[in-house]
Amino acid sequence: MLKAAYRIAWKDMVGDLRRRSSLSSMLFFAIAVLVVFQAAFEPDRQAAVKLLPGLVWATVLFTSLMGLGRVFQAEEENGAFEGLLLASVPRGIIFLGKWLGNLFLTLLVQAMILPLTMILFNVDAWHVIHHIFGVLVLGILGLTGLGVLLAAMTQAARSRETLLALLLLPLVAPLLIAGVQATAGVMVADGQPWPWIKLLLIFDMVYLALAPWGFSWLVEE
Amino acid sequence: MVKLAVTGLHHRFGRHKVLQGIELTMHAGDCVVLFGDNGSGKSTLLTLLSTRFSLQKGQYTLDGLDSKNHGDEIRDKLVFVSHNSHLYGHLTPVENLLFFADLRQLTPSDDAIRKTIETVGLGRFADRPSRWFSAGMKKRLTLARVLIAKPSLLLLDEPYSALDAQGVNWLNSILTDFLKGGGMIIMASHDPQRVAALDHKPQFLKKGRLLPEGEVVTC
Repeated sequence: MLKAAYRIAWKDMVGDLRRRSSLSSMLFFAIAVLVVFQAAFEPDRQAAVKLLPGLVWATVLFTSLMGLGRVFQAEEENGAFEGLLLASVPRGIIFLGKWLGNLFLTLLVQAMILPLTMILFNVDAWHVIHHIFGVLVLGILGLTGLGVLLAAMTQAARSRETLLALLLLPLVAPLLIAGVQATAGVMVADGQPWPWIKLLLIFDMVYLALAPWGFSWLVEE
Repeated sequence: MVKLAVTGLHHRFGRHKVLQGIELTMHAGDCVVLFGDNGSGKSTLLTLLSTRFSLQKGQYTLDGLDSKNHGDEIRDKLVFVSHNSHLYGHLTPVENLLFFADLRQLTPSDDAIRKTIETVGLGRFADRPSRWFSAGMKKRLTLARVLIAKPSLLLLDEPYSALDAQGVNWLNSILTDFLKGGGMIIMASHDPQRVAALDHKPQFLKKGRLLPEGEVVTC
């Protein structure tokens, strides 16, 4: 069954890399945000360290929203979503595949954007970049888990991208706060990231436990 | 031995009753062709038999498996060829069939997949994205799934649409072989002439009701 999830994720990744639709728009959007912020604030090193966690997470949120808005785009063609639901695997496996595909894409974008952010803002945090990326992974796990569920809910709506943002933003606000605080915590020597990291883990567990169940219920009705 | 049984099946969309009291039994090798006007409930019946939606009222069993508790297992035993091809345009025929096989937990070799694509007449296009295929080519590729999956029940919604005369003959020969192998077919069609080559039982649907055998409506 996990092979089915892998194949769904593979199909989404291949589709995106071939069409370069989500990946390129997410990347360009993130770069545009970073350049605008850099030009607007021109922060010195100390200010940049304070600004960076919020900036990184704002970029994560908005680029994720762009990717999530298109997560079921391939399924619109030729009624492929119906085809997915006719598969003889549990609905949770279909969710897992769609989530993994989106997770990979979002992490790929962030892996490219994070070093660029540090260069643009001249932040000397290269020695903890793996910690920052680890915190991002933790946050993105839950964010994409909930996001794929909400994308499935809103895929048939006319203004689905607006609706997706309206539903997602309030629900992930606590996760974003935890992500910003954890990132700030790992960037400074005497930071206290662990309480926030634990909170991120709790959000991940809750979102990722509920989302497959919610998806199964949603597509059955 | 009864392989498929539908009893007391009712379905409604809001207040609109789409299917009323459907009763159907089938044995290995049976082919039922549903005729009826637009909106008579043919496609809805096929969709419900595919277990895409839960039954609102009634019972449906396939190979002794009840659709309420064994949806996944029933889906494993059938292929539904609907109006939509369910194909991914960015994937090639080989990749589309591999994707389909993995979703059904089948493990055909790459050679078997390519041979199937040859069989449906798309050998030259095996490695080209299916986005640019004509409707007839998409239909052939969709039907290739039947050859890969070897299901016990085949649900076909207007399978002859988009096929030329040669394609119709080709499809009928595939379906005849499928029936000889003990498979069952339920097909919705508007075209009695094209179905004539198949050994089938016509069933007429009118306003969501299956008419008793022998009663015919012109469509």
